[in-house]
Amino acid sequence: MSADFAACDSGTAPLTWGQRAIWEAIQRTAPDDHYFNFGRVLKVPGRRPAAEVTRALGALAERHGALRTRLGDRAEQRLFAKGRLPVEVVAGDPDKVLDELAATRFDYSAEWPMRVALVADDDAVTHVVLVFCHLAADGLGAEIAVRDLRALILRGHVAGPRAPQPLELAQWQEGAEGRRVAEAAAAHWAEEHRRAPSTMFAEPGGDGSTPPIWRAMLHSPALGLAVRAIAHARHTSTSTVLLAATALLAGRHSGHDTCAMLPIVANRFRRDSLGIVSTLSQEGLFTLDVSGEFTDVLRAAGPAAMRAYRSAYHDPADRTRVVSAESERRGEPVHPNCCFNDMRLADPGPAPCTAAELDKALEDSALEWPMSQDMLNCRFCVHVTGEGVSLTADTRYLPRAAMERYLLDLESLLVETARR
Amino acid sequence: MMIKERLAELVAESSDGEISAQEALTAGVPLSALGLTSIAQLRLIDAIESEFGVEIDLTDEGVALLDDLDALAGRLAAR
Repeated sequence: MSADFAACDSGTAPLTWGQRAIWEAIQRTAPDDHYFNFGRVLKVPGRRPAAEVTRALGALAERHGALRTRLGDRAEQRLFAKGRLPVEVVAGDPDKVLDELAATRFDYSAEWPMRVALVADDDAVTHVVLVFCHLAADGLGAEIAVRDLRALILRGHVAGPRAPQPLELAQWQEGAEGRRVAEAAAAHWAEEHRRAPSTMFAEPGGDGSTPPIWRAMLHSPALGLAVRAIAHARHTSTSTVLLAATALLAGRHSGHDTCAMLPIVANRFRRDSLGIVSTLSQEGLFTLDVSGEFTDVLRAAGPAAMRAYRSAYHDPADRTRVVSAESERRGEPVHPNCCFNDMRLADPGPAPCTAAELDKALEDSALEWPMSQDMLNCRFCVHVTGEGVSLTADTRYLPRAAMERYLLDLESLLVETARR
Repeated sequence: MMIKERLAELVAESSDGEISAQEALTAGVPLSALGLTSIAQLRLIDAIESEFGVEIDLTDEGVALLDDLDALAGRLAAR
Protein backbone atom coordinates (compact mmCIF):
# COMPACT_ATOMS: atom_id res chain seq x y z
CA MET A 1 0.00 0.00 0.00
CA SER A 2 1.01 3.60 -0.09
CA ALA A 3 -0.04 6.88 1.49
CA ASP A 4 -0.30 9.43 -1.31
CA PHE A 5 0.22 13.11 -0.71
CA ALA A 6 -0.28 16.18 -2.89
CA ALA A 7 0.60 19.47 -1.23
CA CYS A 8 1.04 22.92 -2.81
CA ASP A 9 4.55 23.78 -1.67
CA SER A 10 7.89 22.53 -2.95
CA GLY A 11 11.41 23.92 -3.25
CA THR A 12 14.93 23.74 -1.94
CA ALA A 13 16.69 25.50 0.94
CA PRO A 14 19.92 25.14 2.85
CA LEU A 15 19.81 22.64 5.71
CA THR A 16 18.71 24.18 9.00
CA TRP A 17 21.21 24.37 11.87
CA GLY A 18 19.67 21.28 13.47
CA GLN A 19 19.75 19.34 10.21
CA ARG A 20 23.37 20.29 9.57
CA ALA A 21 24.36 19.18 13.05
CA ILE A 22 22.70 15.78 12.77
CA TRP A 23 23.98 15.36 9.20
CA GLU A 24 27.56 15.81 10.46
CA ALA A 25 26.93 13.22 13.18
CA ILE A 26 25.39 10.81 10.66
CA GLN A 27 28.38 11.13 8.35
CA ARG A 28 30.80 10.46 11.20
CA THR A 29 28.84 7.39 12.32
CA ALA A 30 28.26 5.81 8.88
CA PRO A 31 27.86 2.97 8.04
CA ASP A 32 26.33 2.45 11.52
CA ASP A 33 24.14 5.55 11.14
CA HIS A 34 20.95 3.56 11.67
CA TYR A 35 22.00 4.41 15.27
CA PHE A 36 20.12 7.70 14.81
CA ASN A 37 16.85 6.15 13.56
CA PHE A 38 14.06 6.17 16.07
CA GLY A 39 10.34 5.52 16.07
CA ARG A 40 6.97 5.85 17.70
CA VAL A 41 3.97 3.57 17.97
CA LEU A 42 0.49 5.08 17.79
CA LYS A 43 -2.33 2.97 19.14
CA VAL A 44 -5.15 3.61 16.69
CA PRO A 45 -8.36 4.83 18.33
CA GLY A 46 -11.43 2.74 17.45
CA ARG A 47 -11.55 0.23 14.58
CA ARG A 48 -10.31 1.74 11.33
CA PRO A 49 -9.59 0.09 7.98
CA ALA A 50 -6.11 0.47 6.47
CA ALA A 51 -7.38 2.77 3.69
CA GLU A 52 -8.63 5.30 6.22
CA VAL A 53 -5.34 5.29 8.13
CA THR A 54 -3.26 5.70 4.96
CA ARG A 55 -5.40 8.72 3.99
CA ALA A 56 -4.56 10.27 7.36
CA LEU A 57 -0.86 9.50 6.76
CA GLY A 58 -1.01 11.29 3.40
CA ALA A 59 -2.61 14.31 5.07
CA LEU A 60 0.11 14.22 7.74
CA ALA A 61 2.83 14.45 5.06
CA GLU A 62 0.93 17.31 3.40
CA ARG A 63 0.80 19.18 6.72
CA HIS A 64 4.46 18.73 7.66
CA GLY A 65 6.99 19.49 4.94
CA ALA A 66 9.72 17.62 6.85
CA LEU A 67 8.00 14.31 6.02
CA ARG A 68 8.25 14.90 2.24
CA THR A 69 11.76 16.34 2.22
CA ARG A 70 14.87 14.53 1.03
CA LEU A 71 18.50 15.46 0.99
CA GLY A 72 19.46 17.26 -2.22
CA ASP A 73 22.73 16.93 -4.11
CA ARG A 74 24.73 19.55 -2.25
CA ALA A 75 23.67 18.99 1.40
CA GLU A 76 20.50 20.99 0.92
CA GLN A 77 16.92 20.08 1.71
CA ARG A 78 14.57 19.36 -1.14
CA LEU A 79 10.82 19.59 -0.47
CA PHE A 80 8.47 17.67 -2.79
CA ALA A 81 4.80 18.56 -3.25
CA LYS A 82 3.66 15.12 -4.39
CA GLY A 83 4.64 11.55 -3.70
CA ARG A 84 3.72 8.13 -2.33
CA LEU A 85 4.87 6.99 1.06
CA PRO A 86 5.24 3.18 1.11
CA VAL A 87 3.10 1.54 3.80
CA GLU A 88 3.53 -2.06 4.92
CA VAL A 89 0.65 -3.92 6.52
CA VAL A 90 1.89 -6.49 9.03
CA ALA A 91 0.82 -8.59 12.00
CA GLY A 92 2.68 -8.96 15.28
CA ASP A 93 4.20 -7.01 18.15
CA PRO A 94 4.37 -3.28 17.22
CA ASP A 95 7.62 -2.78 19.19
CA LYS A 96 9.31 -5.57 17.22
CA VAL A 97 8.00 -4.11 13.97
CA LEU A 98 9.51 -0.78 15.02
CA ASP A 99 12.91 -2.35 15.72
CA GLU A 100 12.90 -4.03 12.30
CA LEU A 101 11.93 -0.84 10.47
CA ALA A 102 14.64 1.10 12.31
CA ALA A 103 17.39 -1.47 11.79
CA THR A 104 18.69 -0.20 8.43
CA ARG A 105 20.08 3.19 7.51
CA PHE A 106 18.00 5.60 5.45
CA ASP A 107 18.86 6.43 1.87
CA TYR A 108 18.84 10.15 2.59
CA SER A 109 18.47 11.35 -0.98
CA ALA A 110 16.24 8.64 -2.43
CA GLU A 111 13.93 7.56 0.40
CA TRP A 112 11.13 9.43 2.20
CA PRO A 113 12.27 10.21 5.74
CA MET A 114 9.46 8.33 7.48
CA ARG A 115 8.93 4.57 7.30
CA VAL A 116 5.45 3.31 8.07
CA ALA A 117 3.94 -0.02 9.02
CA LEU A 118 0.34 -0.68 9.95
CA VAL A 119 -0.18 -3.47 12.44
CA ALA A 120 -3.54 -5.03 11.58
CA ASP A 121 -5.80 -7.49 13.29
CA ASP A 122 -8.58 -8.87 11.03
CA ASP A 123 -9.82 -5.86 9.07
CA ALA A 124 -8.81 -3.13 11.50
CA VAL A 125 -5.53 -1.34 12.08
CA THR A 126 -4.54 -1.55 15.73
CA HIS A 127 -1.22 0.35 15.64
CA VAL A 128 0.68 2.65 13.33
CA VAL A 129 4.45 2.21 13.57
CA LEU A 130 6.48 5.22 12.42
CA VAL A 131 10.27 5.27 12.07
CA PHE A 132 11.89 8.63 11.51
CA CYS A 133 15.06 9.64 9.75
CA HIS A 134 16.78 11.99 12.22
CA LEU A 135 17.27 14.57 9.43
CA ALA A 136 13.46 14.99 9.38
CA ALA A 137 12.59 15.02 13.06
CA ASP A 138 13.88 14.83 16.61
CA GLY A 139 12.03 13.22 19.52
CA LEU A 140 9.77 16.20 20.17
CA GLY A 141 9.13 16.66 16.44
CA ALA A 142 8.05 13.02 16.25
CA GLU A 143 5.66 13.61 19.16
CA ILE A 144 4.00 16.38 17.15
CA ALA A 145 3.69 14.12 14.11
CA VAL A 146 2.09 11.39 16.22
CA ARG A 147 -0.28 13.83 17.91
CA ASP A 148 -1.34 15.26 14.53
CA LEU A 149 -1.72 11.80 12.99
CA ARG A 150 -4.05 10.84 15.81
CA ALA A 151 -6.14 13.98 15.21
CA LEU A 152 -6.24 13.25 11.47
CA ILE A 153 -7.41 9.68 12.09
CA LEU A 154 -10.07 10.81 14.58
CA ARG A 155 -11.34 13.98 12.98
CA GLY A 156 -9.83 14.25 9.50
CA HIS A 157 -8.13 17.54 10.33
CA VAL A 158 -5.80 19.17 12.87
CA ALA A 159 -7.24 22.10 14.79
CA GLY A 160 -5.35 25.39 14.90
CA PRO A 161 -3.09 27.24 12.49
CA ARG A 162 -0.94 25.62 9.80
CA ALA A 163 2.27 24.09 11.09
CA PRO A 164 5.56 26.02 10.82
CA GLN A 165 7.76 24.61 8.02
CA PRO A 166 11.47 23.71 7.85
CA LEU A 167 12.05 25.83 4.72
CA GLU A 168 10.80 28.91 6.60
CA LEU A 169 13.02 28.01 9.53
CA ALA A 170 16.06 27.79 7.23
CA GLN A 171 15.25 31.27 5.88
CA TRP A 172 14.82 32.74 9.37
CA GLN A 173 18.15 31.28 10.48
CA GLU A 174 19.91 32.90 7.52
CA GLY A 175 18.19 36.26 8.13
CA ALA A 176 19.14 39.12 10.44
CA GLU A 177 17.42 37.78 13.55
CA GLY A 178 18.82 34.32 13.07
CA ARG A 179 22.32 35.73 12.71
CA ARG A 180 21.91 37.75 15.91
CA VAL A 181 20.93 34.58 17.84
CA ALA A 182 23.78 32.67 16.20
CA GLU A 183 26.37 35.30 17.11
CA ALA A 184 25.36 35.34 20.78
CA ALA A 185 25.62 31.55 20.81
CA ALA A 186 29.02 31.62 19.08
CA ALA A 187 30.34 33.98 21.77
CA HIS A 188 29.30 31.47 24.45
CA TRP A 189 30.97 28.59 22.58
CA ALA A 190 34.21 30.57 22.30
CA GLU A 191 34.22 31.54 25.99
CA GLU A 192 33.38 28.04 27.29
CA HIS A 193 35.94 26.41 25.03
CA ARG A 194 38.67 28.52 26.62
CA ARG A 195 38.26 26.71 29.94
CA ALA A 196 37.26 23.25 28.71
CA PRO A 197 39.75 20.37 28.70
CA SER A 198 40.75 19.50 25.12
CA THR A 199 38.88 16.26 25.51
CA MET A 200 37.39 14.35 28.44
CA PHE A 201 38.39 10.75 27.78
CA ALA A 202 41.81 11.25 26.23
CA GLU A 203 43.70 8.15 27.31
CA PRO A 204 43.27 4.94 25.38
CA GLY A 205 42.53 2.39 28.12
CA GLY A 206 43.57 -0.76 26.30
CA ASP A 207 42.43 -2.66 23.24
CA GLY A 208 38.73 -2.28 23.84
CA SER A 209 36.05 -4.86 23.28
CA THR A 210 34.81 -6.23 19.97
CA PRO A 211 33.00 -4.35 18.53
CA PRO A 212 34.41 -1.22 20.24
CA ILE A 213 31.15 0.63 21.01
CA TRP A 214 28.98 -0.76 23.83
CA ARG A 215 25.94 0.42 25.71
CA ALA A 216 25.30 -0.34 29.38
CA MET A 217 21.80 0.35 30.66
CA LEU A 218 21.04 0.77 34.34
CA HIS A 219 17.41 0.28 35.30
CA SER A 220 17.23 1.89 38.71
CA PRO A 221 13.97 2.99 40.28
CA ALA A 222 16.08 4.16 43.26
CA LEU A 223 18.07 6.53 41.05
CA GLY A 224 14.79 7.95 39.73
CA LEU A 225 13.43 8.53 43.23
CA ALA A 226 16.73 10.06 44.37
CA VAL A 227 16.82 12.53 41.46
CA ARG A 228 13.31 13.73 42.28
CA ALA A 229 14.13 14.02 45.99
CA ILE A 230 17.31 16.04 45.35
CA ALA A 231 15.48 18.35 42.94
CA HIS A 232 12.84 18.87 45.63
CA ALA A 233 15.33 19.55 48.42
CA ARG A 234 17.61 21.81 46.34
CA HIS A 235 14.95 23.73 44.40
CA THR A 236 16.10 22.72 40.96
CA SER A 237 14.87 20.60 38.05
CA THR A 238 15.36 16.84 37.80
CA SER A 239 17.22 17.40 34.54
CA THR A 240 19.76 19.68 36.23
CA VAL A 241 20.32 17.10 38.99
CA LEU A 242 21.03 14.43 36.36
CA LEU A 243 23.29 16.69 34.31
CA ALA A 244 25.28 17.81 37.36
CA ALA A 245 25.79 14.27 38.66
CA THR A 246 26.70 12.95 35.20
CA ALA A 247 29.23 15.77 34.74
CA LEU A 248 30.77 15.40 38.20
CA LEU A 249 31.40 11.69 37.70
CA ALA A 250 32.60 12.15 34.11
CA GLY A 251 35.19 14.53 35.62
CA ARG A 252 36.19 12.06 38.35
CA HIS A 253 36.38 9.07 36.00
CA SER A 254 38.51 10.96 33.47
CA GLY A 255 40.66 12.89 35.97
CA HIS A 256 39.49 16.44 35.16
CA ASP A 257 38.50 19.16 37.65
CA THR A 258 36.55 20.90 34.90
CA CYS A 259 34.05 18.81 33.03
CA ALA A 260 33.12 19.70 29.45
CA MET A 261 29.97 18.06 28.26
CA LEU A 262 27.68 18.44 25.28
CA PRO A 263 24.05 18.27 26.39
CA ILE A 264 21.61 17.59 23.54
CA VAL A 265 19.15 20.46 23.79
CA ALA A 266 15.61 20.48 22.39
CA ASN A 267 15.86 24.09 21.10
CA ARG A 268 12.08 24.43 21.14
CA PHE A 269 11.96 27.51 23.27
CA ARG A 270 10.65 30.07 20.81
CA ARG A 271 6.91 30.19 20.17
CA ASP A 272 7.50 29.88 16.40
CA SER A 273 9.28 26.54 16.78
CA LEU A 274 6.89 24.77 19.14
CA GLY A 275 4.71 23.00 16.56
CA ILE A 276 7.29 22.18 13.91
CA VAL A 277 8.18 18.68 12.77
CA SER A 278 11.90 19.06 12.17
CA THR A 279 15.18 18.40 13.92
CA LEU A 280 15.84 21.34 16.18
CA SER A 281 17.80 19.52 18.86
CA GLN A 282 21.51 20.31 18.85
CA GLU A 283 24.43 20.05 21.21
CA GLY A 284 25.15 22.85 23.66
CA LEU A 285 28.47 23.27 25.45
CA PHE A 286 28.36 22.93 29.23
CA THR A 287 31.46 23.35 31.36
CA LEU A 288 31.51 23.05 35.12
CA ASP A 289 34.06 22.99 37.92
CA VAL A 290 33.38 19.57 39.41
CA SER A 291 36.17 19.49 42.01
CA GLY A 292 33.88 20.20 44.99
CA GLU A 293 31.10 18.44 46.86
CA PHE A 294 28.11 17.38 44.79
CA THR A 295 25.72 19.82 46.46
CA ASP A 296 28.04 22.76 45.64
CA VAL A 297 28.52 21.51 42.10
CA LEU A 298 24.74 21.22 41.74
CA ARG A 299 24.21 24.81 42.88
CA ALA A 300 26.53 26.11 40.16
CA ALA A 301 25.11 23.71 37.57
CA GLY A 302 21.69 25.40 37.30
CA PRO A 303 22.75 28.74 35.77
CA ALA A 304 25.58 27.07 33.80
CA ALA A 305 23.03 24.66 32.29
CA MET A 306 20.71 27.51 31.31
CA ARG A 307 23.57 29.27 29.50
CA ALA A 308 24.54 26.05 27.73
CA TYR A 309 20.92 25.37 26.73
CA ARG A 310 20.41 28.83 25.33
CA SER A 311 23.57 28.68 23.23
CA ALA A 312 22.68 25.26 21.83
CA TYR A 313 20.58 27.00 19.18
CA HIS A 314 23.64 27.76 17.07
CA ASP A 315 24.94 27.71 13.52
CA PRO A 316 27.23 24.65 13.17
CA ALA A 317 29.47 26.69 10.84
CA ASP A 318 30.19 29.13 13.71
CA ARG A 319 30.96 26.23 16.01
CA THR A 320 33.38 24.73 13.48
CA ARG A 321 35.15 28.08 13.25
CA VAL A 322 35.38 28.45 17.05
CA VAL A 323 36.62 24.87 17.53
CA SER A 324 39.29 25.26 14.81
CA ALA A 325 40.56 28.50 16.35
CA GLU A 326 40.77 26.94 19.83
CA SER A 327 42.39 23.76 18.48
CA GLU A 328 44.99 25.87 16.68
CA ARG A 329 45.67 27.94 19.79
CA ARG A 330 46.34 24.77 21.82
CA GLY A 331 48.06 22.80 19.09
CA GLU A 332 45.73 19.82 19.59
CA PRO A 333 42.17 18.96 18.56
CA VAL A 334 39.51 20.24 20.96
CA HIS A 335 36.28 18.27 21.38
CA PRO A 336 34.67 17.07 24.62
CA ASN A 337 33.72 13.65 23.11
CA CYS A 338 31.30 13.50 26.01
CA CYS A 339 27.55 14.09 25.66
CA PHE A 340 24.37 13.99 27.70
CA ASN A 341 20.87 13.47 26.36
CA ASP A 342 17.85 13.70 28.65
CA MET A 343 15.29 12.05 26.38
CA ARG A 344 12.51 11.71 28.94
CA LEU A 345 9.23 12.81 27.38
CA ALA A 346 7.58 13.20 30.75
CA ASP A 347 9.43 14.70 33.70
CA PRO A 348 7.98 13.31 36.95
CA GLY A 349 9.13 16.49 38.72
CA PRO A 350 10.56 17.10 42.19
CA ALA A 351 9.18 15.00 45.06
CA PRO A 352 10.47 13.97 48.48
CA CYS A 353 11.15 10.35 49.39
CA THR A 354 12.25 8.48 52.50
CA ALA A 355 15.41 6.44 53.12
CA ALA A 356 13.23 3.34 53.47
CA GLU A 357 11.72 3.93 50.02
CA LEU A 358 15.21 4.29 48.56
CA ASP A 359 16.39 1.05 50.26
CA LYS A 360 13.42 -0.86 48.95
CA ALA A 361 13.81 0.53 45.43
CA LEU A 362 17.52 -0.39 45.35
CA GLU A 363 16.54 -4.08 45.36
CA ASP A 364 15.14 -3.60 41.84
CA SER A 365 18.29 -2.18 40.21
CA ALA A 366 19.54 -4.11 37.19
CA LEU A 367 22.25 -3.52 34.62
CA GLU A 368 22.25 -4.91 31.07
CA TRP A 369 24.22 -4.54 27.82
CA PRO A 370 21.58 -4.00 25.15
CA MET A 371 23.69 -2.83 22.21
CA SER A 372 27.12 -2.87 20.57
CA GLN A 373 28.44 -1.61 17.21
CA ASP A 374 31.56 -0.50 15.33
CA MET A 375 31.22 3.22 14.79
CA LEU A 376 30.05 6.20 16.87
CA ASN A 377 30.78 9.92 16.65
CA CYS A 378 31.45 10.23 20.39
CA ARG A 379 33.34 8.40 23.17
CA PHE A 380 30.99 8.84 26.10
CA CYS A 381 27.20 9.35 25.75
CA VAL A 382 24.77 9.31 28.64
CA HIS A 383 21.09 8.89 27.73
CA VAL A 384 18.25 9.27 30.21
CA THR A 385 14.91 7.73 29.26
CA GLY A 386 11.83 6.58 31.14
CA GLU A 387 13.52 3.15 31.28
CA GLY A 388 16.70 4.23 33.02
CA VAL A 389 20.12 5.74 32.46
CA SER A 390 22.43 4.31 29.82
CA LEU A 391 26.06 4.90 28.99
CA THR A 392 27.21 4.27 25.42
CA ALA A 393 30.99 4.44 25.27
CA ASP A 394 34.02 3.65 23.18
CA THR A 395 35.61 0.81 25.15
CA ARG A 396 39.05 1.77 23.82
CA TYR A 397 38.83 4.82 26.10
CA LEU A 398 36.54 3.47 28.81
CA PRO A 399 36.52 -0.34 29.18
CA ARG A 400 33.31 -2.15 29.97
CA ALA A 401 34.19 -2.65 33.64
CA ALA A 402 34.71 1.11 34.01
CA MET A 403 31.44 1.82 32.21
CA GLU A 404 29.61 -0.38 34.68
CA ARG A 405 31.40 1.27 37.60
CA TYR A 406 30.45 4.70 36.27
CA LEU A 407 26.73 3.90 36.23
CA LEU A 408 26.85 2.30 39.70
CA ASP A 409 28.76 5.34 41.04
CA LEU A 410 26.06 7.57 39.55
CA GLU A 411 23.38 5.61 41.36
CA SER A 412 25.29 5.70 44.69
CA LEU A 413 26.07 9.42 44.44
CA LEU A 414 22.42 10.29 43.85
CA VAL A 415 20.97 7.85 46.37
CA GLU A 416 23.44 8.87 49.10
CA THR A 417 22.76 12.56 48.46
CA ALA A 418 19.00 11.98 48.59
CA ARG A 419 19.35 10.18 51.93
CA ARG A 420 20.88 13.25 53.59
CA MET B 1 -3.20 43.53 33.92
CA MET B 2 -0.52 43.54 36.58
CA ILE B 3 2.92 42.35 35.49
CA LYS B 4 2.88 39.50 38.00
CA GLU B 5 -0.44 38.16 36.68
CA ARG B 6 0.88 38.30 33.12
CA LEU B 7 4.05 36.49 34.18
CA ALA B 8 1.92 33.79 35.80
CA GLU B 9 0.11 33.32 32.47
CA LEU B 10 3.44 33.00 30.71
CA VAL B 11 4.48 30.35 33.26
CA ALA B 12 1.32 28.39 32.42
CA GLU B 13 1.95 28.75 28.68
CA SER B 14 5.63 27.83 28.99
CA SER B 15 4.88 24.72 31.03
CA ASP B 16 2.06 23.57 28.71
CA GLY B 17 -0.34 24.03 31.60
CA GLU B 18 1.61 21.73 33.96
CA ILE B 19 1.71 24.70 36.31
CA SER B 20 -1.46 26.80 36.19
CA ALA B 21 -1.34 30.59 36.35
CA GLN B 22 -3.18 30.36 39.67
CA GLU B 23 -0.58 27.98 41.14
CA ALA B 24 2.24 30.20 39.96
CA LEU B 25 0.60 33.22 41.60
CA THR B 26 -0.29 31.70 44.95
CA ALA B 27 2.20 28.89 45.60
CA GLY B 28 4.57 30.98 47.70
CA VAL B 29 7.47 28.68 46.75
CA PRO B 30 10.03 28.97 43.94
CA LEU B 31 8.76 27.98 40.48
CA SER B 32 11.32 25.16 40.35
CA ALA B 33 9.68 23.68 43.45
CA LEU B 34 6.43 23.56 41.46
CA GLY B 35 8.22 21.42 38.87
CA LEU B 36 9.10 24.03 36.25
CA THR B 37 11.35 22.05 33.90
CA SER B 38 14.46 23.38 32.18
CA ILE B 39 12.62 23.48 28.83
CA ALA B 40 9.73 25.43 30.38
CA GLN B 41 12.19 27.81 32.04
CA LEU B 42 13.86 28.55 28.71
CA ARG B 43 10.48 29.09 27.06
CA LEU B 44 9.60 31.49 29.85
CA ILE B 45 12.83 33.41 29.30
CA ASP B 46 12.10 33.71 25.58
CA ALA B 47 8.49 34.78 26.19
CA ILE B 48 9.54 37.44 28.73
CA GLU B 49 12.30 38.74 26.49
CA SER B 50 10.04 39.10 23.47
CA GLU B 51 7.06 40.46 25.38
CA PHE B 52 8.86 42.92 27.67
CA GLY B 53 11.70 43.80 25.32
CA VAL B 54 14.36 42.94 27.90
CA GLU B 55 17.35 40.63 27.81
CA ILE B 56 17.67 38.27 30.76
CA ASP B 57 21.23 37.73 31.81
CA LEU B 58 21.78 34.07 32.65
CA THR B 59 24.08 34.76 35.58
CA ASP B 60 23.45 33.10 38.96
CA GLU B 61 21.40 36.14 40.02
CA GLY B 62 19.49 36.28 36.73
CA VAL B 63 18.50 32.63 36.98
CA ALA B 64 17.53 33.01 40.65
CA LEU B 65 15.31 35.94 39.69
CA LEU B 66 13.46 33.70 37.23
CA ASP B 67 12.45 31.44 40.08
CA ASP B 68 10.66 34.19 41.99
CA LEU B 69 7.67 35.87 40.33
CA ASP B 70 7.54 38.77 42.82
CA ALA B 71 11.17 39.67 42.33
CA LEU B 72 10.86 39.26 38.58
CA ALA B 73 7.74 41.43 38.38
CA GLY B 74 9.48 44.05 40.54
CA ARG B 75 12.48 44.09 38.23
CA LEU B 76 10.32 44.37 35.10
CA ALA B 77 8.25 47.17 36.66
CA ALA B 78 11.41 49.11 37.49
CA ARG B 79 12.91 48.84 34.01
